Amino acid sequence: MSKIKSGDKLRFFQPLSQIGLSRLLGETRTHHPITPGLISIENTIEKEGYSGFFDLPFPPTFPKNRKDTEVLIWNLPDTKIDKSLAKGFFLSEQPFYASYVPDSLSLENFSKYIDKFQSLDEAHKQIFTLPLSYVESPLLDKIIETDCSLYILTGISALFNNQRKLTETFVKLRERLPPDIAIYLPGPISPAYYSFLIYSGIDLFDNSIAYYTSKNGYFLTSDGAFSVDNHPPCYCKYCNSAKPELLKHNEMILKNAIGRIQYAIKTDTLRSLVEQDIHSSVTFAASLRLYDNNYSENIQSRTPIISSAPLKCIGEESFSHPSVVEFRKRVKERYTPDPLSKIVLLLPCSAKKPYSFSRSHMLFRKAMKDGSKELLNYISELIITSPLSIVPRELENIFPARFYDIPVTGQWSPYEIDETKLILLEILKHYPKETIILNHTYGDGYSQITESIEEMTSFEVINTSDSSHPTSKNSLTKLSSTLKEISQREIKSQERSSVPQLKQIRATADFQYGPGTGKLLFSNAIKFKGKYPRDRQIFYEKKQVATLHKSTGFLSVFPQHAQKIIHHSYNNLKFMDDHIKGSNIFAPGCAEADNRIHPNDEIFVISNNKIIASATAFVSGLDMNKMTSGKLAEIKKKVRN
Amino acid sequence: MKINKNLAEIITQIRNDNLESRSHSRDLVHWEEDHRLRSGAAKAIVFILPTKGCSWALSNSGGCSICGYLYDNPQHPDFEKIVKSIRGALKGKIQKDEKYSIKLFTSGSFLDKKEIPTEFQVEILKEIAIYNQIEEIVIESRPEYISSNTIAVLSEVININKLEIAIGLESSNNEILRNSINKGFYWEDFEKAVKITIDAGARVKAYLLFKPPFVSEYDSTKDILYSVSKVVESGVDTISINSISIHRGTLLSDLFEKNQYRPPWLWSLFLLCKEIKTQFPDLRVICDIVAGGTKRGAHNCGSCDKDLIEIIREFTLTQDFNILNKDVQCSCYNEWKSYLIHEKLSISDL
Repeated sequence: MSKIKSGDKLRFFQPLSQIGLSRLLGETRTHHPITPGLISIENTIEKEGYSGFFDLPFPPTFPKNRKDTEVLIWNLPDTKIDKSLAKGFFLSEQPFYASYVPDSLSLENFSKYIDKFQSLDEAHKQIFTLPLSYVESPLLDKIIETDCSLYILTGISALFNNQRKLTETFVKLRERLPPDIAIYLPGPISPAYYSFLIYSGIDLFDNSIAYYTSKNGYFLTSDGAFSVDNHPPCYCKYCNSAKPELLKHNEMILKNAIGRIQYAIKTDTLRSLVEQDIHSSVTFAASLRLYDNNYSENIQSRTPIISSAPLKCIGEESFSHPSVVEFRKRVKERYTPDPLSKIVLLLPCSAKKPYSFSRSHMLFRKAMKDGSKELLNYISELIITSPLSIVPRELENIFPARFYDIPVTGQWSPYEIDETKLILLEILKHYPKETIILNHTYGDGYSQITESIEEMTSFEVINTSDSSHPTSKNSLTKLSSTLKEISQREIKSQERSSVPQLKQIRATADFQYGPGTGKLLFSNAIKFKGKYPRDRQIFYEKKQVATLHKSTGFLSVFPQHAQKIIHHSYNNLKFMDDHIKGSNIFAPGCAEADNRIHPNDEIFVISNNKIIASATAFVSGLDMNKMTSGKLAEIKKKVRN
Repeated sequence: MKINKNLAEIITQIRNDNLESRSHSRDLVHWEEDHRLRSGAAKAIVFILPTKGCSWALSNSGGCSICGYLYDNPQHPDFEKIVKSIRGALKGKIQKDEKYSIKLFTSGSFLDKKEIPTEFQVEILKEIAIYNQIEEIVIESRPEYISSNTIAVLSEVININKLEIAIGLESSNNEILRNSINKGFYWEDFEKAVKITIDAGARVKAYLLFKPPFVSEYDSTKDILYSVSKVVESGVDTISINSISIHRGTLLSDLFEKNQYRPPWLWSLFLLCKEIKTQFPDLRVICDIVAGGTKRGAHNCGSCDKDLIEIIREFTLTQDFNILNKDVQCSCYNEWKSYLIHEKLSISDL
């Protein structure tokens, strides 16, 4: 993969974090967060809450120095202004034809605009107006090659009732434009749509809807616009003053709407917010589904895997939540059970997470112990759940398995059933023929899934909870007695099975770094220190080699030790130099990043076939390969020579 | 290339689709109105001559994107009748102790031989030359018909100092002339025509268009101001800011119906007059608002339209700057501001 590298190219923005197509963009030098944000279309006194404002002479007067009069000024704190790359951008060029004009008419002019734009000096080359119809134009490459930082996207609102084209356009945009630029969507756009639009890759909006609604007597609320004569009460200072100020109130609603999304990005909960918000628009609800069905790769690989945010799976959309889809994918592709497993125990999920801490799973555990203590370590437990499908016991502590919540009804959708069957059958391929499957689930949905095992495989299946609820005395007794019976069949192995903790970290490593890495990283000689809920330290030959974090359930492996998986890891970044100065990896330093890297992932920095450091990724591997400036990752540990 | 082929094609298509509705015969239309001469207040008699219409509009290039006057022109003009009607009208209207300006509008070019044969140009002017009360004769023409020859013919009949040729320049920006209006000529052609006219002793009035399609109101305001400075520099002493009214059967009308164009705000026109008069106190600034206050003409929110139109009308008549100092307030002022900037940023998709 080729990429344009240039040392002196510096864009104003850089991603500070990423969820799907949405990004937290900060000013490159000071890292002051600017997007997602709101631009004031005029220079206001109350700048708080705005990312920037336009300062245009108004009304226009006879020109003195025409070129430098129209400016977009970024709202940076006083302490940071001097350090930042630019205080503002000049708004000097725009294509002649509007975005609604057919290409046949505007093509010649658009190419002229591009030529003109290229000839401008750097200070005037920071804002590019991109009409919707030219998103795919090869001419755009010329602009992408420059360090233009802000793209004004015009014409997109025409697609607000064409979901198919809308989603297509957003995806194309993100594939086309560099990740370290901001996209600004001007015009009156309801704050109810912000979350979806930001999730689709838009970074900036403006406050023109505040003017528009105020003029026409509309009172904005987070749920939409109401007549000023009849609206839900508001107790903000603008509404409670002697002379209520509608414009100020409406502005405040916009600022709050943006603030809420900024917070959601910081806390990794944007997707849940979007799922909640799209229900106010048919178009956007449909668009999200189209995304999920057709373009999920694009969003998925840009969504963090390592997180500790609560995951609310309430609507139908949650089944396609990128973190959920990625979990199912990784369990299917990366999970391998302990090779000495003799029994597979299928269990229902529990409301309390991790499952082991729930009353029901404690009862199961007790019944298993009562049945046969010797067999315990040879049992591979698989928990069947919606929307994650299958959670192996070893992975119950990681995101999202420990953090999701669903409204429990016991009803499964046909799609969920099919998907779960598929994953279950895939996992079962890892077990030897003589493995016994204990099905300790009850209910229509579960039985539809487990039936497929008998239909599709030749495993021996024993139902231990077929007549009553799994936690009923009847079922628990049956589980115990079945295990006892099996233990007498003498299927014990000569080899000693691994302890549960070792199984857990191996499975976690496989999930995190790629299949097979768990076994390479952690031999039977591993020692543990610290018990849940503290971080668990992992020692090998008296040296600490890794940590299992209690907050996320994921590992961090020390770079020296990670050398063992250098050829197996999916989280590698090839570095340009042989040693790293400072504590960050910047775009020019990256020779190639694995496209499977997700934001927040622990990655390994490689130089001359050696891991030289471990780091935390800010952005996805896909975007690391596209960025020309800005921070890609923060170093965690360097290998000392 | 002064023509954008693609734009001309679209306009020609629209023109051809609408040309059938053209009326086949029409009489001379005329009316009297208040007018501002350079010397002071006066009356104006306006004649709309039923010629076959603007040659540019009838050409293969389709004419201007904003102009639908052609549809009102008859196909077979009767010049004998026109001259007769003018004679009659002047006789009836002209008072002894009043000053007059005569405006001869054709919705095309008076100096275009194909539109009005030279002999009839002369005939018509002869009728006017009879009256001494007439201090000003205004004709309209595209620059390509203005040559020392065409003017020389007229100067044989009338006192050339009384002649004012109004040229629809619309904008001094060739980009706008070519890509928005499809005007078919450039600034340089206008400049040449001005020189010829002034050298011959006549005067020029420049029409400037506010706001052409595909140009935001903010940018059009800037363009008008820029054009005014250029026009003044070229020696023109009267400018007329023509606020758009949307003619049916034009590209502009199509855009309007698709919600892709909003006619200008009266606020903009009001402030334009103010800004221009401040910068050029001696310039005669005329701002005729056609269809003001309606959806297809310049309008504000509806509640302040009347007041503003009246102020601008009064200013045009008196050229008195103080009239523009009147404090007009309306709640739509803020919306106008935000609209302009938003439209500038996105070239309005509203």
